[in-house]
Amino acid sequence: MSSHHNQDNIQHLYEGDQSKLYSGVMQHHTDITSEESKSQVKRIWKIFWILLVITVIEVIMGMFFSHNMPKALVNFFFLALTILKAGYIVAVFMHLGDEFKGFIVTVLIPLFLFVWFIIAFLADGGFWLSMNASSPARQTLEHIAK
Amino acid sequence: MSQTTVVTAAKGPSLWAGGRSPYNVSYGKMMTWFFLLSDALTFGAFLISYGTTRFFSAVWPDANEVFKSFPFMGEHNLPLLFVSLMTFILIMSSVTMVLAVHAGHYGDKKNVAKWLLWTIIGGICFLSCQAWEWTHLHGECGGLWGAFTDVNTPVSEFRHFFGHKSLAFVDAQPLVAMQSTHNFFNYFFTITGFHGGHVTSGVIFNILILVNTVNGVYERRGHYEMVEKIGLYWHFVDLVWVFVFTCFYLL
Repeated sequence: MSSHHNQDNIQHLYEGDQSKLYSGVMQHHTDITSEESKSQVKRIWKIFWILLVITVIEVIMGMFFSHNMPKALVNFFFLALTILKAGYIVAVFMHLGDEFKGFIVTVLIPLFLFVWFIIAFLADGGFWLSMNASSPARQTLEHIAK
Repeated sequence: MSQTTVVTAAKGPSLWAGGRSPYNVSYGKMMTWFFLLSDALTFGAFLISYGTTRFFSAVWPDANEVFKSFPFMGEHNLPLLFVSLMTFILIMSSVTMVLAVHAGHYGDKKNVAKWLLWTIIGGICFLSCQAWEWTHLHGECGGLWGAFTDVNTPVSEFRHFFGHKSLAFVDAQPLVAMQSTHNFFNYFFTITGFHGGHVTSGVIFNILILVNTVNGVYERRGHYEMVEKIGLYWHFVDLVWVFVFTCFYLL
């Protein structure tokens, strides 16, 4: 909410409360019935409908299609839709999309640790299942597959 | 030089004395973001641990079989319906929260209070749904932390949690399937419990800022940034639910 505000002309209102400078409330935001306010509210409701439609699609897929389609494809769809929903929540509801680019990058970069984290741990889990050829679980799996 | 100092002093701290934030974000809001970042790592660790256990299990309970009940509908086969309702409630409460934050940007005390109240109601509805689901899973399904550890448990106690493709394995290796059921419930109760704890504290925070709003604390302060910060936390809780929903009910 703050990136489009120029704080130079409000420095005198600082009064030792840093939040005052950046919260935006002391500037032109005075009338909640203004056009700018209305377009913001409209955007919020638009995102609500997008999130709802994505969730409905997910549930319908989960209920009716997840057993008849290739598992990898279904999972790919679910994960893509999840990331999409998360993106909308963070960018619009949490207003991260309205912040300075430097701040967006600062918040998002540490999350890329998850890429390594997920790959390493899931691969290790999968390896553990198949590494012991004499384990009863693996023998039964192979027996059923035949 | 001295002139500059005088002007800066009149305006507040100088550029190099912490007078400005390079990101145009206040300290409190930035630290809220970094707290949420660390919380995301905690939730991520839980979910990845769950995923790892699932990957090294030969069979895993099927969400469509475990979560198919709805309050007052008995044991009808209604997979995912109840959790969809919970998801809808949480998304809705996120919308009312962002509307409260929006009203706060305009210093509109009445609307901030109204939307915060709706958010609190949404949060309580979500927690009630979760309480019902936990009661159901414990009462009718026998799940809880540490459940399904007795080797003498008959296979009929947990066979119905698995999809039809897994049943041949469950019948051949009931103990392996029981171990999976045990792990499934441990992770389910831990992760949804940790999330539910976040929702609970979010509701408490919302009640506190509602009281402050009604008492005019933020009006006197000149800004509603506290609503914004609690809003960030509340949306984060919604965000986590998006991932919990995918990992437990969809994948």
